[in-house]
Parts: sequence; C-alpha cells; structure tokens
Amino acid sequence: MEVNISKQNGITTVTLVGRLDTPASPEVEKALEPVHENATGTIVLDCKGLEYISSSGLRIFLSIRKSAAAKGGRVIVKDINNDIRSVFMMTGFLNLFEIQ
Amino acid sequence: MAKKGLKGNSSIRRFTKDGLAFIIVAAITLEATSLVQYIFARKGIREEATMRAQSQMEAANLKIKNVIDGTETAVRGSEWIAAWTLEQPDSMIAVTRRLVNDNSIIVGSTIAVVPGYLKDRRQYAPYSLQLPGSDKIEEKSLATEEYDYPRSEWFTMPIRLQAGYWSEPYVDVGGGDILMTTFSLPIKDMKGKIAAVLTADISLDWLNSLIGNLKVYPSAFGMLVSRGGKVMAGKENDSEELKSLRKDMSSGENGQLTIDLGGEENLVYYAPVDKTGWSMAVVIPEKEVYGSFRQISFIVKILQIFGIIMLFLLLRYTAKRQAKMREISEKKERMEGELQIGRDIQMSMIPKTFPPFPERHDIDMSASIVPAKEVGGDLYDFYIRDEKLYFCIGDVSGKGVPASLVMAVTRSLFRTVSSHEKSPQRIVTTMNNSMADMNESNMFVTFFIGILDLKNGHLRYCNAGHNAPYILSDTLAKLPVLPNLPLGVMPGMAFQEQEADLKYDDALFLYTDGLTEAENANHELFGEARTEKALHGRMSAQDKLESIKTAVADYVGDAPQSDDLTMLFIHYVNDAKPDMTEKHLALHNDIKQISLLSEFIDNIAEEQKLDSSLAMSINLALEEAATNVIMYAYPKGTEGAVDLDAIIRPDSLQFVLTDSGKAFDPTAAPVADISLDVKDRPIGGLGIYLVRNIMDQVYYERKDGKNVLTMIKQI
Repeated sequence: MEVNISKQNGITTVTLVGRLDTPASPEVEKALEPVHENATGTIVLDCKGLEYISSSGLRIFLSIRKSAAAKGGRVIVKDINNDIRSVFMMTGFLNLFEIQ
Repeated sequence: MAKKGLKGNSSIRRFTKDGLAFIIVAAITLEATSLVQYIFARKGIREEATMRAQSQMEAANLKIKNVIDGTETAVRGSEWIAAWTLEQPDSMIAVTRRLVNDNSIIVGSTIAVVPGYLKDRRQYAPYSLQLPGSDKIEEKSLATEEYDYPRSEWFTMPIRLQAGYWSEPYVDVGGGDILMTTFSLPIKDMKGKIAAVLTADISLDWLNSLIGNLKVYPSAFGMLVSRGGKVMAGKENDSEELKSLRKDMSSGENGQLTIDLGGEENLVYYAPVDKTGWSMAVVIPEKEVYGSFRQISFIVKILQIFGIIMLFLLLRYTAKRQAKMREISEKKERMEGELQIGRDIQMSMIPKTFPPFPERHDIDMSASIVPAKEVGGDLYDFYIRDEKLYFCIGDVSGKGVPASLVMAVTRSLFRTVSSHEKSPQRIVTTMNNSMADMNESNMFVTFFIGILDLKNGHLRYCNAGHNAPYILSDTLAKLPVLPNLPLGVMPGMAFQEQEADLKYDDALFLYTDGLTEAENANHELFGEARTEKALHGRMSAQDKLESIKTAVADYVGDAPQSDDLTMLFIHYVNDAKPDMTEKHLALHNDIKQISLLSEFIDNIAEEQKLDSSLAMSINLALEEAATNVIMYAYPKGTEGAVDLDAIIRPDSLQFVLTDSGKAFDPTAAPVADISLDVKDRPIGGLGIYLVRNIMDQVYYERKDGKNVLTMIKQI
C-alpha cells in the first residue's frame, strides 16, 4: 500500500495505491494524520490506484470527512473503481462524499 | 485334571465291566455249545460202539448158527437111517462114520443105544472119531466100564427132553483134549419108543478164534458163555464183576451194561446164541471208545480257554485305547468349543450386517473376514458419525489366538480414539502410542484408517504399514499411500495424513495380504494381477466381494488357507449432492493472516471462474468476519485457532468460520444506519454490516464450545 500526500494551491491531494485492507489500515491511518490539519481546505483523495478497501479503510475515509465537516473543509473522492463504488453505495458513503 | 483322570479310569472300568460281561456270555455260549456237541458226539460214539459191537456179535452169531444148524441138519438127516440101524446094530458104525466123513465140522459121532434095548448087548455105542489134523477116522466103542455113557449128559438130556439137545461144552479127554460140544438127537424105533441117541461132536476150537476176533477196539475182548455160565471161548477171569456178568448172560437175553474192571469202566454188550443157550459178550474199555474223543475235547477246551483269555486281553486293550481316544477327543472338543466361542466373540466385534446402512443412498458397502484358523488377527471396522464414514482395516502379525487378542485390542482402540477425534493422523498416532506402550509380545498391526466425508466425497486417510487400497474410479489404481510404520512398533512415531477426493460412483477396495498371498497347491500366490482382474467390472459391493471370494477359492482349490483373508469394499454413490468440494483454511489470531485469506478466495474464484467483483465482495465479507474474530475472540497475548471451511457447489459458496474464543454472535449486533449524515455516523460497525449485505445467508451457532458462523453466497 502506497500513500502520497501533496499540496498545491491550497489543495491537499492524497494518492492511494494498492489494497487498503485491515492489516494495511493502521499505517495508512498514521500517514494521513497531517491531512486532518488541512481539513479547512480542499482534500482530494485520489483513488485511481486503489484496488480494494475494507471497513477499516472506510473508517479512515470517514474520519477525514468528519474533520472536514468540523472545520468547514471539502473532501473530494476521485476516480474510484466500480467495485469500490459499489462498496460506497452499499455503505451510504456515496451520499457522504463528493465523488468525481 | 485329577477329575479328568478319574473319569478316564471309570470309563476303563466301565469298559472292563462290559468286557467281562461280554466274556462271560461268550464263555457260557461257547461252553454250552461244546457241551451239547460233547453230549451228542459222546452219544454218537457210544451208538457207534454199540453198533459195531452188535454187528460183530451178529456176524459171530451167524457163523455159530451156521455151524449149529449145519450140525443139526446133518444129524437130523441121519435120523431115519439111525432108526433103521436099530434092527441092524452092526451098521451103526457106518452111519457115524459117514456123518464124520461128510461133515468136516463133525469131529466125532456115535449112536448110543439105550441100555437093554438090544437083547444081545447090554450097552452098545459104536463111535467114529476124526481128530483135527488127521484124515483117518478111528472107530471106538463108548460102551466101556469107565466111560459109562448112559450117565452122560449128552445121553440123558435128549431122552428126558425127547428133543435134540446141545450139551454143555466139555473137554474131551479121549478126543485130543479139545473143547467140544455135542448135539444129541433121540432116535425112536418103529414103535415110537426112544431106543438110541445119535450124536455129533463138534470141536469148539474155531469159537476161540471167532470170539477172539470180536476185537471191536484194540483192547476189547469177546466172551462166549455156556448155559451153565461156563466160559467156552474168550477171556477167562474170575473177578466178581465177570462172574455176575456171566450170570446175567445166562439169562438168555440181550443186554448192555457198564462194569468196572481193575478200576476202568468197560462197556459190555451181550446177546444169546440161538438154540444153544449160549451167550456171547463183547467187553470194551470205555477209554478206548472215547479215547481220541476225550483227547480232542481236551484240546478244544484248552483252545477255548486260550480264546477267552485272548478275547479278554483284546477287550481290555480296546477299552483302554478307546478311553484314551475319548479323553483326547473330549479335550480336543473342549478346545474347539472354546475356540468357537472365541470366534463368535471376535466376529461380534465387527459389523457383519450387509448392507450396513440400508437407509442411506450415498454409500454401498460390504466386508468379509475369513480366518485361516478358528480365530484370526485381521480386522475391519466402520461406522458413520457426523455424516462421515470412519473405516479401517488391519492385519495383526501372526495368526491364531495371540493375534486375535491383539486384534480385539486394536479394534477397541479404534472405536475409542476415533469417537472424539476427526483427524486420521491423530487417531493413528494415539493408537500407536497406546499399543507400543503395552507391546511386550512385540506384535504389530498394519493398519489403514480412512474418514470419508459423505457430503462431498472428501477422503482423509492415514496408512500405518498396510497395503495400499485400490481406488476404482474411471480407471483402477492404487490409492497413493505413504508407507509409515505399522502400529505398535515404537511409541512417539510421526504418521502422515493424506487426502483424496472420491467422485460420484468411485469405490475403494481394502484388503489384507491374505488375498494377494493366497496360495494354491503349488505354492503360487494369487497376486495383484489376479486381484485387479477380479476387481474389474461394476457391481454391487456384496456381489463384488462374492466374486472375488469365488475367484480366490477357485484359484486356491484344496490347498489349506495359509493366512487370514479380509476385504472391505466401499462404493461411494453420493447421488444426493454431486459436484460438491470442500476446502479448508486454518488460521490463527494474527491480523497478518488476512493476506492468506485473500489468496484462499482468489484460488476458489479462479477454480470456479468467478468474476473479479464477486470475488472481491466475497473477500471483503470474509475479511470483515475473520477480522472480527482475529481481533476480539481471544484474549490479548494468547494464540487461538480460526478455521475457515469452504463448501463449493456449482450454484453456491458456503463458508463456515469457526473459533474456540469467547462466545460472540455478530449477527446480534445492531444494524448500522447508513442514512445518517456525516456528523452522526459512528466510526465503526460497518464490518458485520458489509458481511450481511454481501452474503445471501448469515447465521451463527455456538456449538461444542465454538463459535460457528455460516455464510452462504449464491453464485
């Protein structure tokens, strides 16, 4: 699992590549802690390389979304594949996130 | 044994008693027979003696009679001429001369005139005499002073009787001192008055030889006695017995009696001689009559006694032998009886009713055990537990009673250990340890155990030194087995488990080496080629075993069975659930193990050709369920097992997740509300929500201290 964070023009872009399963979650969660500080602005979660997500990954997505909601920021989920989209749909996450 | 011995003796006694009775009856019969025979033979011999005596006496009598009659006839023939000579006394001599001359038996003859009849002569008795051996006839006159014929008996008696008269025998002094007798006939003159007596003297010398020839038996002797009891011929003896015999004889009658002469019994026969008043007798010593007969009787008696003794000895010997044989056969019978009981007990240990599961349609089985002796060391066993067929076959080293005891132990262990253990490898290990620990006789058992899951045909098995079973699938092949060591060789041995899958209509054939090593009369083995040939072709388990048994029996013929022969045939039918496979994944409570889970699912997905989205969602559901267990079932710091079984059918996937941790029912957790907005959404609770959404059926059981979560996905 690879995680990259970049900032440009006040937009924080998080690139996720690989399988975000339960064993991978703790590391990803730790890596994304700085992102919560930028929750006032726009956070883009680039999921183009994300192959798989389990409930622990969904929890990370939700916690970022909660931070943004508290600080007035915006979270955009970008380029999710169909399998992950169906998981989002199943869990009601499609209504919580701005999907591009 | 003491009791036994007594019994043996009593049977000898009984035989001896029977034998004695038999001998006594035999002896009595024999003795009675010989007594009857003796009596009849004795009677016959006596009758024979009587007949011989009488016939000889009759012959002698006839001879005497001939002489007497001849003499009388000659004398009577001269009666008329003698009467004539009364007128011509000088011619008298011519008459007597002619009588003597014409009749050789007549020695002398006279015509003695009654004194005073002739006027010129007071006495007149001219006498002709021819002495024996001489051809000259002398002429004499008996009218001499010293002779005084008118007083002689031969003269007086015929006159008194007025009839012919035979005189008492006498020794003629003047006539050559021979024993003589005289026939006298009175002669009457013209007036009918007795005027003279015509006589003829005959010598009785020939009687001596006649009577002397009455030797019916070597020591027998004859006797001729005159009217007056005087012995005329034969033995003369003055013993009282003979005197009284002579007296009896002079009665003129026939008779027979027994007299004692010098201490010996004698048979006496006597009979009168006609006309003369004489009596003839034959005296026969009894011992000569019965002599050889007595000898024979004696020999017969000796032989009888010898025979009886031999019979007794033979009976005694037979009785002893029979008693011994009986003892041996009783012993053998008892032993055979005990062996038969042993066999019954042994046979009652193994299932013998076929088909064993008539209510089931997924299994057809048959088994057979043929011990070489009454009891054997082969075994098989099987039973169904939790829809799994537990079966085994084994062969104890050796034969007979020792092997049968080990067989019983092995079978008990199999039942006991397999009742709470699902792994063939663990069952075999436990059995081996128990048997090796107590194996002082160094007997071992080759053993094969299999556990066939009847739901899907999955076979787990473990071999301990037994021959590889045959698997009858599309082709006939041997089930690949690791040899391993037999049970009981060494404790602590590691045994390896193997597995295979039986398809619909596959069968297993298990056997002991009594089959392949069955020998014919030439000591050639039945072998694997014949076994495989016999296995060829499809038929019911029962018919299959029967046909193999027939093939072996035909091959072996009359040769004695050398080893126990045991066979087990399992035909897996599984017509209820075809095409079902089962997979198992063993995990423990480490979150990193989740990666093994995704590999497991990927394999199933690949085999079942599932599309990737479905595979991913199944993976997700299983990961959520497994994570839950891995993270929370066991206390921190302890290790615990998490098992996942997959049952794969063409139209569904069933997953069973099992752990032995604290009881927890994930299906009882509240359902997450996905309609809440960001602020109100709880951070957790999505895992079980995903499981429920992805899977078509999810249910939880707490079973045998385990959490069992079953999840089914239709595909």
